[in-house]
Amino acid sequence: MSQRKSYAVGTGLFIVLGFAALAYLATQTSSVANRQQGASYTVDAQFENIGQLKERAPVKIAGVRVGQVQAIALEPGKPVADVKLAIDKRYADIPADSVATIFTSGLLGDQYVGIEYGHSKNHVADGGKLALTRSSEPLEEMLGKFFGAGGAADNIGGSYRVTARFSNVGTLSVGSPVKMAGVPIGQVASVQAEPAKLDALVTLAIDNRYDQIPDDSAAAVFTSGLIGSQYVAIQPGGSPDMLKNGDEMILTQSAMQLEDLIGKFLVNGSGSGDGKQGANPPTTPAGKH
Amino acid sequence: MNARIGNDNVVTQALGQIGNCGLFLLQVLAAIPRSLRHGRETVRQLWFTGAMSLTIIMTCGLFVGMVLELQLYHVLSMFGSTSMSGTVVAIATYRELGPVVTALLFAGRAGTAITAEIGLMRATDQIAAMELMAVDPLAYVAAPRFLAGLVAMPLLCCVFCALAVFGGHLVGVSWLGIDNGTFWSNMTATVDVWQDIVSGVIWKSLAFGAVVSLIAVFQGYTAPPTSEGVAYATTRTVVASSIAILALDFVLTAFLM
Repeated sequence: MSQRKSYAVGTGLFIVLGFAALAYLATQTSSVANRQQGASYTVDAQFENIGQLKERAPVKIAGVRVGQVQAIALEPGKPVADVKLAIDKRYADIPADSVATIFTSGLLGDQYVGIEYGHSKNHVADGGKLALTRSSEPLEEMLGKFFGAGGAADNIGGSYRVTARFSNVGTLSVGSPVKMAGVPIGQVASVQAEPAKLDALVTLAIDNRYDQIPDDSAAAVFTSGLIGSQYVAIQPGGSPDMLKNGDEMILTQSAMQLEDLIGKFLVNGSGSGDGKQGANPPTTPAGKH
Repeated sequence: MNARIGNDNVVTQALGQIGNCGLFLLQVLAAIPRSLRHGRETVRQLWFTGAMSLTIIMTCGLFVGMVLELQLYHVLSMFGSTSMSGTVVAIATYRELGPVVTALLFAGRAGTAITAEIGLMRATDQIAAMELMAVDPLAYVAAPRFLAGLVAMPLLCCVFCALAVFGGHLVGVSWLGIDNGTFWSNMTATVDVWQDIVSGVIWKSLAFGAVVSLIAVFQGYTAPPTSEGVAYATTRTVVASSIAILALDFVLTAFLM
């Protein structure tokens, strides 16, 4: 009997230990430990873009966690996100004109809502609203600003189309910007291979506002930065006649390929004439022959 | 009970084994209500299969957590994100390593013992004697062991995971100097109760517990009543359980994640 009793006690201990371990895993190492402790009040904030913000993401003031995101929903009838923040009752004196911003922790980390204090004497109340918000900024937009490659022309005034032939368009694609003096004036409407002439026919849609482009201007495929996207740059000529809808730009310069450039650089000293037949000549009078 | 399988080819034999195993599962399940009269026997089996396995499970859990943390630290230090290593230890253990390693250890520690015990009971005619005394061997021998395995596995797995996290903490925080606060806060921010602990630890280890104890009981119950037969059955328990655990793990991951 005593033997049997020790089984029972040992087995009971084992079961208790197992459940204790389960309770430990569930409460100490998981998101349950992160749940709101104590009473909280709810504040609304509306954002144009919440990026990767998730429910239960932290709300921080000066980097200190004061609450969490309770719910995220689309505001009915408007393209803005309504984010409900549950903030701990201990931090009840947040000025009503504080700014709620969606931040990213580190370059690739999770997103959280940061509140920057305003100067108002009034405090935001339960069910109140933080009117001033700053949305999450997509990485692409920030990089675009940084590299200056983004920003297409606003296509308000309509556009006219001209064509240009390139022996090589590189990675130019539909929608790539067309720039003059670095300013976007239109975009690439189509890129097609021309079977008869063995080159690429690119249609450029240029904004109607820019109708003073000489018809002997040259079109070149450039790369923004070292590894940026490619765009069509227009270098104005001197002709008194202007480009019209349906015209073809005669002078073109194809995309430089990094391999060709390196090749040119490497073989520069040893007779530039031979072995360079594959490289694209810088300026091709494509339509002349 | 079992249709005799002649000297057919390997495929037919394997299929026959699987079929017999499935039929045996139904018989054991049907015997579970009858086995409740022998509750004490179930507790005794829980002691043998569960509580006695604690030592090996705890030791292995500790070392798995420690070595995982050590490896992750060196890789993650290339990206300057060593504070996430505890999170990865926890998630990897809860979702995969905990259930799988516990089940493999359980098959080696408890499964073989079950097979050998039942095989010898069969070889020494104890099972035949029970049948003569009108004691249902399925209800008295097979079902309690099956139930015990089913209950013991999730508990053992929880202990394994807790010790793995502790081992990761030991190496990461005490030895390699990761900040204690970020270690825990990253972990609590990422680990989800339902996704990781319930569908990882609990469901997987329940399924593995059922599979391992079924295979162990089945192999012992159908072992040829010779010493060679028992030895062969014990080996087959380990081999079949290991394959079943790893294959089932893939299927369960595909379904649960």
